[in-house]
This record gives sequence, structure tokens and C-alpha cells, in this order.
Amino acid sequence: MHGSQRTVRLAGLLGLAVAGASAALFIVAAGAESHTGVARYGGAAWVFLLAWIITMPVLAPWLKGRARG
Amino acid sequence: MTTDAHTATALQETTELRLQVAGMSCASCVAGIETAVGGLPGVASVTVNLATGTALVGYRPGVTTPAQIKHTIRDLGYEAAEKLEGVAALDREREARQREIRRQAAWMLVAWPLALIVMVGTFQEIWVFPTFVPAWMGHRYFLFALTTPIVLGPGLQFFVNSFRGLRHGVTDMNLLYATGIGAAYLIAVINTFWPAAGFGGPEATFYEAAALLTAFIILGRYLEALTRGRASEAIRKLMRLQPKTARVWRAGAEVEVPADEVEVGELVTVRPGEQVPVDGILMQGYSAVDQSMLTGESMPVDKRVGDQVIGGTLNKTGAFQFEATKVGRDTALAQIIKLVEDAQASKAPIQKLADLVAGRFIFWVHVLSLAVFLFWFFLGYARFFDPATRLMLTPYGLGEIGVFGFAMLISVAVLVISCPCAVGMATPSAMMAGTGKAAEHGILFKSADAIESSSKLTTLVFDKTGTLTRGEPSVTDIRPAPAWTESDLLALAATVETNSEHPLGEAIVRGARDRGLSGAASGATADIAGFAALPGLGVEAQVNGRGILLGNRRLMQERRVSLGPLEREAEALELDGKTVMFIASDGLAAGLIAVADTLKEHSADAVRILHQLGLETVMITGDNRRTAEAIGRQVGLDRVLAEVLPEDKAREVQALQERGRRVAMVGDGINDAPALAQADVGMAIGTGTDVAKETGHVILIKDDLRDVVSAIEVARATMGKVRQNLFWAFIYNTITIPFAAGLLYPWSRQVVSPELAAFLMAISSLTVTMNTTLLKRFVPSPRKPDRVVKPPQTLAPVAGGAP
Repeated sequence: MHGSQRTVRLAGLLGLAVAGASAALFIVAAGAESHTGVARYGGAAWVFLLAWIITMPVLAPWLKGRARG
Repeated sequence: MTTDAHTATALQETTELRLQVAGMSCASCVAGIETAVGGLPGVASVTVNLATGTALVGYRPGVTTPAQIKHTIRDLGYEAAEKLEGVAALDREREARQREIRRQAAWMLVAWPLALIVMVGTFQEIWVFPTFVPAWMGHRYFLFALTTPIVLGPGLQFFVNSFRGLRHGVTDMNLLYATGIGAAYLIAVINTFWPAAGFGGPEATFYEAAALLTAFIILGRYLEALTRGRASEAIRKLMRLQPKTARVWRAGAEVEVPADEVEVGELVTVRPGEQVPVDGILMQGYSAVDQSMLTGESMPVDKRVGDQVIGGTLNKTGAFQFEATKVGRDTALAQIIKLVEDAQASKAPIQKLADLVAGRFIFWVHVLSLAVFLFWFFLGYARFFDPATRLMLTPYGLGEIGVFGFAMLISVAVLVISCPCAVGMATPSAMMAGTGKAAEHGILFKSADAIESSSKLTTLVFDKTGTLTRGEPSVTDIRPAPAWTESDLLALAATVETNSEHPLGEAIVRGARDRGLSGAASGATADIAGFAALPGLGVEAQVNGRGILLGNRRLMQERRVSLGPLEREAEALELDGKTVMFIASDGLAAGLIAVADTLKEHSADAVRILHQLGLETVMITGDNRRTAEAIGRQVGLDRVLAEVLPEDKAREVQALQERGRRVAMVGDGINDAPALAQADVGMAIGTGTDVAKETGHVILIKDDLRDVVSAIEVARATMGKVRQNLFWAFIYNTITIPFAAGLLYPWSRQVVSPELAAFLMAISSLTVTMNTTLLKRFVPSPRKPDRVVKPPQTLAPVAGGAP
């Protein structure tokens, strides 16, 4: 695995972390408004997916830039 | 150099890799490949063209390999193979395109019938449907059974490709499709098997959304595959011109060989009705050759011994033999094909901007989708949701849909409706049609950049000699002294100059021949002796025993020849910029002959149309001011820059640019090359030198200045089409995104369904495709059949010599 792939993988993992945090935040916020479980967890899954899709292409070039110094 | 230094140099040097890429469908595919390949170590540059399906990669061989580059592209879900040349490339490209068309057509055959049944089944209880649609067709299990093969069959490619893209950190249109289709399908499945889960219950299954969304996207892909094939038709037409065989003289016998096996220097025979196989010089015979396929000339061109013949053109009348001078990749036709290919593979600045916007669009669409979801989940649903909500342009209601289902429905509609699919095709399809249209008229744009720059020109700078004028002096006036006739005088002068290599002497000999004085001109009937060239003065010789002097005023003064009234006539001609030569016989003035360069047939006509287009015209020449202004008046130029040294031409062009002008330089000679390079657009006349053609951004194959007009008109029409296409590509998204996001929902109580969003997306692609097709009808004004062309101006007063 060359450096570029490692960076993309790292971006993917960091993206998962950011998406996971966003989803967790969503669950907390939705819980506070007493939404149903389906709405809370279904919504969290959708937020997780979109947040991951959004963060991945932002993180990958940023990490590549950092790796190049 | 040390080994380390060698290695370092090798690492720095980049090599070009041309790839044929299949499976791309939109601008984000381009951005995806450029991002993934550009991220590979050792890759210096990547240019991906959607319309041609090509990728041009600059890489350092020591750091990465073609295999790694191809592997990266394949890993994203596209087919990548090294681009072949000539017929092989044509075959492979056609094969790949037909495979893609067949694949999408097959998926359409699966998706559309099933999707239509799903739609009818969904609306089973509405309008007139209950009268002829059985109830079981509306059952959710039936709809599930029909929709699943659509999502997992034709729709699967979007899930696979988006996953491959994500593995490389790339988000593309496939991801939009996958999230849209996947979300609609998932909600429908949940509402089918777990109706109490809170997604709207069994009445809100949305199977038709997933099914029609997939069907419309597949339709869009199918249309795009068809468009890409049509757009590269110009190259295909040119390639079809390449002859297959040639009759070559080998070992004293005529043998038929494949055209690409002809070698330089071989003698080739061409019979009437046959194609000229390679480029060469006619050695024996005479014929008329149809060059329209390459130059756009309507009439066959006469070819005599010494004339150049071009491979791919059609011999009409007589048989001839020619010596091959350029074969294989060096032929004019092969060069033209390469130029058109390169131009179509390149990107105009406007396209780079469109690609950038489309690439960024995906990101912002997801951000918007998330924001819309959060708004409707936390705020919008509680405040505005009405159970009577309907899907826009359908009688279909949402029923008791829950907060998650409602927010997600709007979020998915935003994703799908924002998809700028048509943006990817907007610029390249118009550029390909434009370069193809130009090539039909013998105009070769070397890049898309050249088209864009040509459309913005404000000033045309023309070189004089060889561009506006023929570049060879001709006899314009003959003024005999009393007792002499024009014919006698010209015949005598031609006899003296028979073997002259001086341009003015050659003009006199040519003038005599053109007037049917060939016997005199060849010297066949004259007894010539004592010929002597007198540098800076003229020549002298004994013709049939008479002492003849032919030269300038100084020669006549030195030999004490009285010019009498000829002197005044000479001054008047010189005021018009003509070069005057006096003739004396046995010490007595016999007359004078004036010689001047002549205007090309269509120079004045071209300049007149350029003025109609609102362009400023300037001539740049090394000639003296009087001569330059004389020709400037005849052609109708706005300005004349005279007495400009060749090395200063580029500086003059730069000076115009510094005054805010967008300048095109039109030239043909080696001395024009710096100015051609300096100009925003360098237009090289095809009959000119190779250096000019290499430096120019646009090549005019024919020696016809009206092609400058055609080039600018085609460029303007192409860029007009690009702007229209970008408008049509973005307008649907721009107008419909607020609707999809539910901006009007509080008042309208209607939401955009994902399938309506997909339909609008397909309409956008269709509009762009149809709009580009209209460019095929464009005819430049000089080529319009009803155009009245002014008769050519016969003679222009120009002193010979200076370029």
C-alpha cells in the first residue's frame, strides 16, 4: 500500500469518526425532543452517511497536503 | 553527470500517457479520476475529457507506471486502456461506446417496463386506474417484487461505482444516485415489512420513486452515451478518408501495397477515381484533384508537374505519378486527425471552470441535503407538516408520514434534483461539434482554448506578404516608348530575363508567358549573348545583336539613357508603390515595366466581413510606409504598421495587447512565428511554412483569408452554444433546488418527489444534447450559398522584396 492509499484510508477513518460524532449528537438532540426510536436512529444513520460523504473528500486532500509537507 | 544526477533528471522528466476511458457519465466522474490519478505519486498532470472519453496523464516513469495509473482508474469503476492510433483507435472507441450503449439499453429494457408497472400499481386506487388495474397490482409485496430487480439490477452500478469512488476519497454523481435510490428503496422496504416503524406506514411505500429514479438515470446515461458517439463523428469522417492501398513502382513494376507501407521517395501511380494514398510531389501527368474533404474547396484543383498532392484527396480526371514525400504519421491527413483529436481532448478555460463547479457541487449538494434534513427534522415538520401533503404534479399523497420519512424524502429530492449531470457534457460536446464543424471548412483549432480565445478577439493583425498578398510580384503596367508595342517590350524584357533567378526577372518572364509570349520568354527565337547581372542596377545583354539594358533609374543614368516622358510616368507608378524597370535598346529608351505584389483573391472581402463583425484590422509589414499604406487602402484596413522589422512584429502585437486588445495574428512565414506565439490567437495559413503552422493556434488549410472570418464565426457560434448549454445544464437545478428543499412547502403543501427530480435531470441532459446538435446546421457567412462575393481586386501596388 503506497502513501496515497494510506492517506485515503486515514481520511476514511477520520471521516467515520466525525460522522459517528455527528450521528451521536443527532441522537442526543432528537432524544431531547422525544422523537421515536425509528426517527432518532434512522435519522442518525442518514446523518452519519451524509456527514461521512461530506468529510471524506475534505479530509483526503487536507491530509495529502500535510503528508507532502 | 553522476549516477545520482542522472537518476534525479530521469525522475524530473515526465512522460505522456494517453488513455481511453470508458464508463464516465458526468463532470464529477472527470473530477473523480483527476483527483484519484492526480493524487498518485509521480503524476504531474491529468486532463480528463468526458466527451472524447480520454485521459492525458503526465507522469514521471521512475515514480509511477502506466499500469498503476490504469489500475487506479479501473478501481474507480471505469475501463481504462492505452489509446491506440488510427483505425485501431477508431475501432476500439466505437466498440467501447457501442458496449456502453448496449449495456444501458439492456438496463433500460429491464428498468422501464418494470418501473411503469410499478407506477401504475402505485396509482391503482387513483383517478381512472381502478377501472382497469387490478387491486393486486397495487399491493406492496407485488411492488417490492418488481422494484427490487430494478434497484439490484440496473441500479447496482451506482452503488458499486460510488463505493469504488469512496475508497479513493472521491464523491461523484454515482453517490448521489446511490443515496437517492437507496434511501427511497429502503423507506419503501421498511414500510412494507415493518409498517409501524414510523416511516409513513404502508401507504407511503415510494417504490415508484426508487424505480422511476433508476429508470430516468439510466435513460440519461443512455442519451449521454449516444451523444458522445455523435460528437466524435468529425474524427471518424477524417479517418475514413485514409486510403487503404497504393500503387507503387518497385523493381520496375507497379505493385499494390498497403498505403501505410509506402516509403518516402517511392514513385506512386494514381488513376482517375482513385484516392491519393500519401503526400507527395507530382512528377508526371496532369489531373484535377478534389481536395474538398480536407480543405472545403468546392472546385477540384488542377495539379501539374511540381505541384503538391495530399493523401486522402480524390483524383478526378487524369492519371499521374508522384513521388511520396510524407507517409504514415507525417501526412497532412494524419496531422489533421491528430490536431483535431488533440483539440477535442483539451479543455477550454470555461470547461475547467464548469468541471470545478460541478466537482464542488457534489460536496455542497450533500451539505445542503444534510442541512435540509436537519431543518425539516427538528423545525419544519412540527411547524408546517400537513397530512394532506401531496407529491408535486401527482395525485399521490404522503399520508401519515413520520418526521424521519418526511425529512428524508425532501433530503433525497434535493440530492437528486441538484445533480449537475448535463454540466459535464455542456462544454465538451459543443467544443467537439465546433472543432468538427471548423475542420469541415479546412480550419483546424489546435485546442479548445483556441476556440474560446478566437471568440473574444477584438483586433486582427495581418502579415502582408504571403498573407494579404500573393507574395510574388507580377507585371502590373507596361508603358512602351513610341515605335514600341507592349508585347514587343515585354517579350524583349522576358528574353533578357529568361534565365534570371531574381524575383523581378521571374515576374517579367511569368508575365510574358501569361500573355502568350512564351516563345519570346523562353528565348527560343532570340540570339542572346553577353548576359551580365549588374548588382543593384539591373541586367544587360545582347539580343539579336542589339545592346539591351533592363534595370532601374540609376542604371539608365549611368549609361546616359534619356528617359524623357517615361520619367514622369515612372514617378506616378512609384507613388502607388510599384517597382519600375526601364528598358533601353542600343542606348535609347524603349519603355518601362512596372511590377508589384498582388492582393490575394479574397483579402478585401475577408477584411470587409471582419469589419461587419466589429473587429479592428491592422496590417504589419517590413515594407516602406508608402507601399504599406497603398495596400492598406486597397484592402480597407483600419491601420497599417509599416517598416516593422521581423523581430519587432511580436513587440507590436504585445503593444496592442497592453492597450487591452485581444489580438489574433494571421501570418505564414518563419518571421511571423514570434508574433503568432505572442498573439492571443495565432492563425497560420496552411500554405505557409511549417514553423508558422507549429506556432499558430489555428491552422487555415486553404490559402483563403475568408477562413479567418469562418474561424471566428465558428468560434463565436461554439462559445455561444457552450454558454447556452451551461445555462440549460444549471437552470433546472437552480430553479428547482428551492422547490425540492421545501422552500414553498408552508404555502403549497406539496413536495418534489425523487422521480420528478430525476425526470428534470434527464430533461436537462436531453436539452443540452439537442442544443449541441443544432451547431451542425451552422454555416459561416463566407460559405453561405446566397452570399454575394465581390469580384477579386486585380492588382495591388506593393513594392516587392520586403516581407
